[in-house]
Amino acid sequence: MTGSVPSTTVVDDIADDHEVDDTSIKRLGFGFWIAISWIGLISIAALLAPLLPIADPNEIANGAPRDGILGDNFMGTDALGRDVFARTIWGARISLGVGFLGILLGVVVGGALGIAAGYFKGLADQVISFLVFSLLSFPSLVLALLITASLNRSFLTVAMTLGIVGIAPISRLARATTIQFADREFVQAARVIGAKSRRIIIKELLPNVLVPMGALTLLGMGISIVAEGSLAFLGLSVEGEAISWGKSIVDGSQTRDLNQNSHVAFVPIFAMFLTVMALNFAGDRIREYTDVRETAF
Amino acid sequence: MARFIARRVVQLALVLLAVTFVAFSALNFLGDPLVNIVGPLAAIDYCDEVEAGLREDSFTSINNSRGDCEIIGEVKAEFGLDKPLAQRYFTWLGNIITGDFGTSFQTQLPVSEIIAQKLPKSLMLMAMAQIIALAVAIPVGVYSAYRAGRAVDRATSVASFGLLSIPNFALGVIVLQFFTLRNQWLPASFDDTSFFTRVHSLFLPATVLGLGIAATYQRLLRTDLLTTLQEDFVHMARAKGMTDRHIMTRHVLRPSLFSLITVFGVSTGALIGGSLVIEGIFSIPGIGSEIVTAVIRDDFPVVLGSVVVIASGFVVINFFVDLFYTWLDPRVRAS
Repeated sequence: MTGSVPSTTVVDDIADDHEVDDTSIKRLGFGFWIAISWIGLISIAALLAPLLPIADPNEIANGAPRDGILGDNFMGTDALGRDVFARTIWGARISLGVGFLGILLGVVVGGALGIAAGYFKGLADQVISFLVFSLLSFPSLVLALLITASLNRSFLTVAMTLGIVGIAPISRLARATTIQFADREFVQAARVIGAKSRRIIIKELLPNVLVPMGALTLLGMGISIVAEGSLAFLGLSVEGEAISWGKSIVDGSQTRDLNQNSHVAFVPIFAMFLTVMALNFAGDRIREYTDVRETAF
Repeated sequence: MARFIARRVVQLALVLLAVTFVAFSALNFLGDPLVNIVGPLAAIDYCDEVEAGLREDSFTSINNSRGDCEIIGEVKAEFGLDKPLAQRYFTWLGNIITGDFGTSFQTQLPVSEIIAQKLPKSLMLMAMAQIIALAVAIPVGVYSAYRAGRAVDRATSVASFGLLSIPNFALGVIVLQFFTLRNQWLPASFDDTSFFTRVHSLFLPATVLGLGIAATYQRLLRTDLLTTLQEDFVHMARAKGMTDRHIMTRHVLRPSLFSLITVFGVSTGALIGGSLVIEGIFSIPGIGSEIVTAVIRDDFPVVLGSVVVIASGFVVINFFVDLFYTWLDPRVRAS
């Protein structure tokens, strides 16, 4: 039995919590900028990978095979002697690329569907909501598997697949936010002065819906990057010589590699972990900063 | 309540129709099942044109002999591929309702038999993961809410944030390396000899899956508990001199479980995706491994059958979670 605590403790703590929230709402905080810096750094490295003075990621026997992390190659080599560091930088190109393109597609299509459903209501809303509900009835990885297994596995297909998976949850958030604003005074005012639906949606509703979408884009990009990794484990990520973090982790997870030179898997795992954490953290902070309630994911 | 259930059953039927249709048409429309059966080298386009009367079928062509087109015609007739998509869908739907999922291209075994053999292992993995998730999340959630703002609470917040950021396959690979390769503490692959060995060998993968969900549960539960702690009846209980433990477990926990129940359905979806991946890492011969192999071998009936069973199962679970939730909280019914 725990000792008796004065009856106000818990309540006091809650009050403390609120104070912390109140002060932090005004600023994004130091951690946010660290997270953004990491995302920026890894994105620049990914974009500039061909120009950086790093080894050729696909060159076999660039160093001695299965070289340790402190060997001649910075961060060692894999079973074929390929440079792990270079492969991780090049992997960022595909992992961040499909993540970004995927979430972009999800936000554009999902956002448009959600706003249309929330604004026009009636039949449009019912049809869109049923479609969204049906999409959400698939476990997301099963839906992704269904698409990539049926089509080819090019960069664009994988990005598109991640986007399609994102459409349903994103459109749900967009619909909920639109409904919140659709009957507000400023929208009614616009309607009264004779603004057309298109103008109301673009000028009045879109700016308000974009705010929570910003946070969701960061969180969703993290989810997309992880989803690429999951697809890689199912053998359904980008095919061919293309390098992604997911594929690198799969490469390093064969029993012998994992046993003797685990860094082949652990280096890309660490890169993915840091990036996803940075995206989650930045997304969370923006959500708290703009004070939007959690409605999707 | 009866009307509510009736409405939900209709919705369930519609969604099941939509889900099976999406799965069926994705694999039939995006991918061509004919290519999967006769292989991509066969002269499918050529024979289509011959059939449409666009060109003459000539013996002289080396690769595209009349024989090929006859074989393709037979295959089309055998698998019903010469009929329109909608008709094929309803024929197929009728078959799966009677339990006929077709036969595997690869092994010639009935797909229903394959699923019946593989699915229980995956279900056991997922059930263990849910149990582990709840067993971790509820005590930790209750304690972190009880000590909100203190060191323990802050530490668990950081830990659950970290857990949410680490993909389950990454955690799986790390755990596999540490617990089965570097130290042989736990078995690295599935052992089917007895119930005990099954639980023993599934413990590690189930923990990997469970911890990820536990982090979500813990965060939700903590938030709900903090809201409940502000209720008058908590002060009342305290004023009556009840112990903190009694208040937390008897008065506060129960009304704070609603969010947990609603996300139970959603987390099952994450769990299904997770177990597809984790099964491969820990060599568990479940439905996930089966799908992966079937995709590689273009074994279309196995992929379709497995996906339909999984997706329908997910829909049905969400249906029951919904009903249970409504039954618990009458306020939902009214809205």
